[in-house]
Amino acid sequence: MKTIDIKGFKREETGKSATKQLRQAGSVPCVLYGGEEVAHFSTPQKDMRNLFYTPNVYIVKLNIDGKEVNAILQDVQFHPVTDEVIHIDFLQIKDDKPVVIEIPVKLEGFAEGVKAGGKLQLEMRKLKVKALAKDLPDTLNINIDHLGLGKATQVGELNFENLELLNAKNAVVVAVRLTRAARAAQQKA
Amino acid sequence: MKGNAQRGHELAFGSFGIKALESKWLTGRQIEAARVAVTRYMQRQGQIWIRIFPDKPITKKPAEVRMGKGKGSPEGFVAPVTPGRMIFECDGVPYEVAKEALRLAAQKLPVTTKFVVRRDFVESSNA
Repeated sequence: MKTIDIKGFKREETGKSATKQLRQAGSVPCVLYGGEEVAHFSTPQKDMRNLFYTPNVYIVKLNIDGKEVNAILQDVQFHPVTDEVIHIDFLQIKDDKPVVIEIPVKLEGFAEGVKAGGKLQLEMRKLKVKALAKDLPDTLNINIDHLGLGKATQVGELNFENLELLNAKNAVVVAVRLTRAARAAQQKA
Repeated sequence: MKGNAQRGHELAFGSFGIKALESKWLTGRQIEAARVAVTRYMQRQGQIWIRIFPDKPITKKPAEVRMGKGKGSPEGFVAPVTPGRMIFECDGVPYEVAKEALRLAAQKLPVTTKFVVRRDFVESSNA
């Protein structure tokens, strides 16, 4: 999995007023947990853009005042009106402990149903997986060559090495739907 | 209505949307006019989601009637909207089409709105 470096500065003060001052100064309050102790730190807001405004998922190499930790993005809070980042949660990862993370789906091939006039619909852009950090892939590649008109691929049909899929087994990941025009032509025939 | 939207302020279904920047009651007629504007511009392509529903009944007294004599009769329904509330979402159309369609929809509404895009949106994505 891709990694991204983020520099953090330990917070001396927590609480409402200190956090407000931090945000006004262009930083984002963050918390890191999952390790031996919880760490409160802040990071410049502009450094975080590459982490959210992308379809990729990263393992974050956090450098908090010289101490390096590997983590994943656990939760992000955005302001309801301005959409600015309010707070970020990071979960520390350990080599022997599996993590739960959402990995983007990437479609491969050209579906038979699309050749026949159907429309490809990716219903789930990301799938929730449980795996060790070393086994996490960048994307979950799904081959759709065999997918005919009106057919769908469900989570239960997918199988990836060393990964456990946590979504509902009957949830549709990708489907080839009949277009309105195709449906009308079928009814006429 | 005080405060910002505490729920319904994120894109939940589509890649594009408009969110309210003011508090106001949106009537069923205004929501329907906006929906028609989006559907017409998108020429029945893609998909739209309406994230609000007018379930609050509103009463009004007839014109030139003195005060008193009981409450007015129901006139219609409204959806109370607070800043940040997502009103419409759409997907399945290019960025430019979605932006223009939702701009036309916003003109039918009594609130100022802003156009938002999914954070992980990539134009060439096969979604």
